[in-house]
Amino acid sequence: MIKLLGYFYEILKGSWITCRHFVVNMWFHTLWFLGIKTKRRGAVTIQYPEEKKEIAHRHRSLHRLMTREDGQPRCVACMLCMTVCPSECIYIEAAEDPDPEIQKYPKTFLIDLSRCCFCGFCVEACPEDALRMDTGKIELATLNREDLIYDLNRLIG
Amino acid sequence: MPKITIDGQTIEVAEGTTILKAAGQAGIEIPHLCYHPAFPPEGSCRLCLVEIEGSPKLELSCSTVVREGMVIKTQSEKVIEARRSVLEFLLAEHPMDCPICDKAGDCKLQDYYEAYGLFESKFKEIKEKKDKLVHIGRNLLLDRERCIQCTRCVRFLLEVTKTGELGVFERGIHSIIGFYENEPVNNNYSGNLAEICPVGAITDLDFRFKTRTWFLTSRPSICPLCSRGCAINIEFHKGLARIELGKRVFRIRSRENQSVNKYWICDYGRYSYSYLDEGRIAQPFQVINERRTNLSWERMLFILSEKIKSLRIRKRTSRIVIVLNSALTNEELFLVKRLFIEELGINRIFFSDPPDEKGDGFLLTAERVPNRRGALNLGFNLNVGEEVLKQDKIDLLLIFAAHLAEIMPLGWLSTLANQIESKFLFTSRESGLSRHVDFVGPVTPVAEKAGSFTNVDGLNQSFDPALNPWGQSWPEWKIMINLAKEIPINLRYFGRLNSPETIRKVMAEEKLNFSVNP
Repeated sequence: MIKLLGYFYEILKGSWITCRHFVVNMWFHTLWFLGIKTKRRGAVTIQYPEEKKEIAHRHRSLHRLMTREDGQPRCVACMLCMTVCPSECIYIEAAEDPDPEIQKYPKTFLIDLSRCCFCGFCVEACPEDALRMDTGKIELATLNREDLIYDLNRLIG
Repeated sequence: MPKITIDGQTIEVAEGTTILKAAGQAGIEIPHLCYHPAFPPEGSCRLCLVEIEGSPKLELSCSTVVREGMVIKTQSEKVIEARRSVLEFLLAEHPMDCPICDKAGDCKLQDYYEAYGLFESKFKEIKEKKDKLVHIGRNLLLDRERCIQCTRCVRFLLEVTKTGELGVFERGIHSIIGFYENEPVNNNYSGNLAEICPVGAITDLDFRFKTRTWFLTSRPSICPLCSRGCAINIEFHKGLARIELGKRVFRIRSRENQSVNKYWICDYGRYSYSYLDEGRIAQPFQVINERRTNLSWERMLFILSEKIKSLRIRKRTSRIVIVLNSALTNEELFLVKRLFIEELGINRIFFSDPPDEKGDGFLLTAERVPNRRGALNLGFNLNVGEEVLKQDKIDLLLIFAAHLAEIMPLGWLSTLANQIESKFLFTSRESGLSRHVDFVGPVTPVAEKAGSFTNVDGLNQSFDPALNPWGQSWPEWKIMINLAKEIPINLRYFGRLNSPETIRKVMAEEKLNFSVNP
């Protein structure tokens, strides 16, 4: 019986918090509406997805591979990102580039976003500044797992 | 015996020892690049400088011989400063292409920079441009920008192979390692150059861009490709979480063993490692009308033991033929002796070894199997040929072929196949032989099992598995012991054998020459 009362008590407590937020926010919104500048402002809900909040410039979003002037990836397949990646989501296969100044380029570059934890270590590790996480793309959901494996073309594009 | 003090530690070393070696004996590592224990000191890298009390300037530890009462400091401020300066000069012309350099990870210059350097370069000049891709041999690539002119490669070719293909050309900043026109490095020991190069100047084409060194795990083993028994390290990749790499072993490197191969291995042993990963059989199977049915080892040994039992009851064990090879370890050959010869009374046993090829007079021997000496020591007659096949009818044929199945002279099998009632093949790889037999059981090659070999000079060397067994591969000793338990034969004797160590212990008890050098 006491347990049952406790149950209703928690529900009432929750309702009280909701009501309090409503009243407080409504109060500040009304004051603002009436032209009274208060220090605190009422909370506003962003209407996602119609309305989107601007992403902070340090936010880690979808990876991209930087390119040289000629459009080739800047990556030299040193595999440091693959080494540092805590979730082992990067896979690189190196190949011989005909240019002796470049020598090594990634034949395969895969990032498995279904494993990626967006820690950004790969970006930190990259000695060539070839990998960045600044695309601002955060809506990465797909209908199948294969689409989450990003290859060279998708990462450059 | 001079008594010296290194970093406050007083030790006594033999007359004529250099400071670098004496420090090594005291457990102090002095950084060095051009010095290699196999050659006389060169003194060109200047990195091994140490402070000696009473001496006005720093001395090279690789070429200075100790004197009585010498007081040496290897970690004083002056020495550390000198190391930094030397590194700064070495790196002044060194291209910072570690990201694409295959040596990165086991590069000594990189290690020393981490330990003693860590400076910002003061040189603002553009670095000298040199050739980056020079093919100096079959499997070797020279990058002249990375070279620090330690001349280890030149000295190796002068003193070990005595071929002297490489030399230092030009002078000063323009000095390069080169060879005379149309005479590149072309000997059976060229792979060692990539290994002794302290930086990434000489790299191996076989390993080029395959993976990075820090992904590899190195485990000691013994090279089974000739009867020298060189000490090797097998370097393999442990694999990735989601992607199949297709191979485990990426390279074979030499391991120091002063009594056999010193520091070197031949190219034949270095580059022939694909048999460890390619075409391996993962599970025992039965072949009926060219269709394969997978079995378990238990089932297969049960079938085999039933066949042996029925032949034994009918006193027809003389109709069993066993084909062996000299790539079996001493322990396995011992089991063959005790189990097949003594307990079962099988005497139609012959060795089918790959034919001898030419040795090269240094490490590579003519015998392309690792344990012929061991087989002879255990009293096997290696001269018995295929004539034992014709002595009587054959009801059961057991072929132990290890990884040698492709090169073993087993041509007779295809003609005799129809006359033999049941044929068992124990091999590690797919080969033409599996078409002619009824049962195939996967066995582990030397890199995946423990045991001991007796090399061409009669030296017993034991080894442990370097790799995990492929699929359900079993080592031959396990097959024989389990077969003895399955039949069962003399359980009191075979029951206590469960590893090569226990077999070795029994061999020692029975006074079979077994003192094994690790």
